[in-house]
Amino acid sequence: MPTPASPSASASSSHRRGSSDLMVRIGSADSEIKLRALRELKNQIIGNRTKKLFFVKLGAVPAVSCALAEAQAQAQAQAQADLLVQSAAALGSFACGFDAGVRAVLDSGAFANLVALLSFPDDKVVDAGARSLRMIYQSKLAPKYDFLQEENMEFLLSLLNSENETVTGLGASIIIHSCETVVEQKALCHAGVLKKLTSLLEGSPSQKDASLESLATIIKKNPEAASKFVSESRRALRSVIDLSKDRNPRTRLLACMCLIVIRNTSPCYLQDIGIKTKLVCLLLELLDDPGQVGEEASFAFSSLLAQKEDLQKLAFEANAIEKLHNHLQKQLLQPRRYQGILLALAELCSKLESCRSRFLSLEVLNLVTDALTHEVSDVRTAACICLRSVSRSIKSLSAGRFMKEMIVIPLVRLLHDPSTSVQVAALGAVSNIVVDFTTAKSTFLQCGGLKLLVQLSKSMDPILRLNALWGLRNLMFLADNTCKEGIFLELTAPSLSSLICDPEPFVQEQALALVRNLVDGCLDSIKYVFAEDGIILDAIGRQLQGASKAEIGIQGMYVLSNIARGDEFHKEAVMHQLLLQVNNGTQAFILKFLQSNDSQLRTATIWTIINLTIPSSPGASSRVVKLRNAGIVSQIKTMVNDPCVDVKLRVRTALGAIMTIGDSST
Amino acid sequence: MNKLVMNFLVTEGYVDAAEKFRLESGTEPDIDLATITDRMAVKKAVQSGNVEDAIEKVNDLNPEILDTNPQLFFHLQQQRLIELIRNGKVEEALEFAQEELAPRGEENQSFLEELEKTVALLAFEDVSNCPVGELLDISQRLKTASEVNAAILTSQSHEKDPKLPSLLKMLIWAQNQLDEKAAYPRINDLSTAKLEDPAV
Repeated sequence: MPTPASPSASASSSHRRGSSDLMVRIGSADSEIKLRALRELKNQIIGNRTKKLFFVKLGAVPAVSCALAEAQAQAQAQAQADLLVQSAAALGSFACGFDAGVRAVLDSGAFANLVALLSFPDDKVVDAGARSLRMIYQSKLAPKYDFLQEENMEFLLSLLNSENETVTGLGASIIIHSCETVVEQKALCHAGVLKKLTSLLEGSPSQKDASLESLATIIKKNPEAASKFVSESRRALRSVIDLSKDRNPRTRLLACMCLIVIRNTSPCYLQDIGIKTKLVCLLLELLDDPGQVGEEASFAFSSLLAQKEDLQKLAFEANAIEKLHNHLQKQLLQPRRYQGILLALAELCSKLESCRSRFLSLEVLNLVTDALTHEVSDVRTAACICLRSVSRSIKSLSAGRFMKEMIVIPLVRLLHDPSTSVQVAALGAVSNIVVDFTTAKSTFLQCGGLKLLVQLSKSMDPILRLNALWGLRNLMFLADNTCKEGIFLELTAPSLSSLICDPEPFVQEQALALVRNLVDGCLDSIKYVFAEDGIILDAIGRQLQGASKAEIGIQGMYVLSNIARGDEFHKEAVMHQLLLQVNNGTQAFILKFLQSNDSQLRTATIWTIINLTIPSSPGASSRVVKLRNAGIVSQIKTMVNDPCVDVKLRVRTALGAIMTIGDSST
Repeated sequence: MNKLVMNFLVTEGYVDAAEKFRLESGTEPDIDLATITDRMAVKKAVQSGNVEDAIEKVNDLNPEILDTNPQLFFHLQQQRLIELIRNGKVEEALEFAQEELAPRGEENQSFLEELEKTVALLAFEDVSNCPVGELLDISQRLKTASEVNAAILTSQSHEKDPKLPSLLKMLIWAQNQLDEKAAYPRINDLSTAKLEDPAV
């Protein structure tokens, strides 16, 4: 965006002269001149971002702030009241939707003076002060209001109880801006704010909107507040539902958002099919609004659908995919609207196959693919998230619908994206797409995807490492030997073993899951974990000994179980890892795993035992002796009636084999 | 009924009529009648081509209106440009377009298109006969004026359309629906609202 300093010389020089003259007049001692200058400044900056920035740089904000303070200090004559109104209005305009302006106003120290205006007798002064403060509170930069201090809470209540609409609006803005924690939500409930806000639902249009938004802020993720709101008065919830039919689209949207918050906080409310269908239809209708309401409606729609299959089904039946598709086809979509629609589609396709197949049959995929190269990073991220949802479809993955150059090439390019959130989202989509059951994995390898995934697995950012490993793990899934070898050579044994020992447990888990897929299938692939003197196997042994969570144990034990399918050398190597600690005198991790509460971990561990004790293998009997001496056999015997059927079945198989070997050896 | 009439008078800005009606019928308007005067002054300023004056008046009334409504602000500035062109102040018009309107065009694609259309006025010798000549038409002023009027009403928590015309529309629609289904006492003359029995 050009600053006003850049336009043609003649225009800008006269403009600048005028501006510095204006600055002089604002500082004038003659209150008449000062007043006219303040009004002129106000009229220049209202609605004009460029001018706001220009005057902020010129230092106008401290000058206006000074005028405000001076007028406040003097007797309350009419002239002074006008000065107060004009300077407050100018400060408010600097702060309106413009963060640099908010910062300048706060830095100038005007905040306290604006608050002081609220207790003036002149209504116009109060109005101007409240309006400017509300502008400030609409920015993230506004100072946090401490509700937990008693006098602050009293002041807030006095604002909400005011006759003046702008002042009640200010009270609501403070709540929306500053109420973040459960403690603050509780304090507001306790002070009776819910009740006050409920009564404002019957007020003027702007009060309704402010009240709906504040209520949502206080109730969000706080079941206690939700039930208090619903039970305190029968009318309360009814009023919100009624407002979802209001004439004003913004009010309808805010009412929907409030209802969604109540529902997501306490699933016991708003369960009947009527209200659910109504919310779906209302939000789809609001999407048509050309302004901000339409933009926000898509985000509200996503939060309505999130994790809820029943609502996704209703939305599907209400032709949500078709409607979102229509919006996506429009030219010149604003980035925020674009992002919102993509995220709503992602949510819709996150669980139901019917949604995904409708999505694919309408060829929405092409439009989403276009969004992968959008200039705004939020849009690119949303497109990746959408792609990840749709590619959960095993049917379409099997049909190779996503392994196309048109999708894979831009997606791989996003792995380099300067924004980490785009990279993470792209990795999410890649992880699903590379699962692919056909031979099409080569498309991904050919366009350099593998190299990038390996690079990202060494990133400083643990989230990137996690997601890159996830991609590699899925790429490894059911891959043929050439593909496995390619991945392994790129990744190398040393870096794989250092990923197994990563400081982050969730990265460790993914690295182990990757090795599990590496040694799965063809027996030939077991050789990889023995490369470079078996550093990978040693790393796994170390990690299992210190496993901080069950998931790490599960993945690690499946790796060992897969290796134990191999030849005698492989089986002995696994035994070595299992009994290493017994020889050191500490408790073997295998015993700990067999006693774990996690049935999956018990299953994985028993599988390893089964593979080690297959009676037909030559060394089985010596291994049984070792397992018995380490107390492992007796532990398994205690598990014949394990509550988990799977474990119980495997335990019996293992004991059968051990018995057979024991009989033949004695 | 009285409230409906008052609503109509207030929304349409008939301040004198509203005041008389208040005295005669005792119906209290839902907003301060003085604000109607202010609103009408803004509207009149736009209608007579005094856009700068109108903008200042709106800002005095409520500085938030133009700060939070970029489309309206753009349309007012565009109208200002149109007036400069109408008065043949080419130099000033160009400077104004560059200083004030160009940055808005960069913020919003559709504003840019409208701006291009407006500046195109300067390219024609005979503006009355050019493809964008309708911008100079008086109806453009009226369009802008009613946009401002609606925005002020909304900011005063007042609906921007009077209730009476939409009620009448609903009545006619309902009667048309009924006509297909039943015989009933119908209102044929809206000015007397007399129920007429159906012809048997």
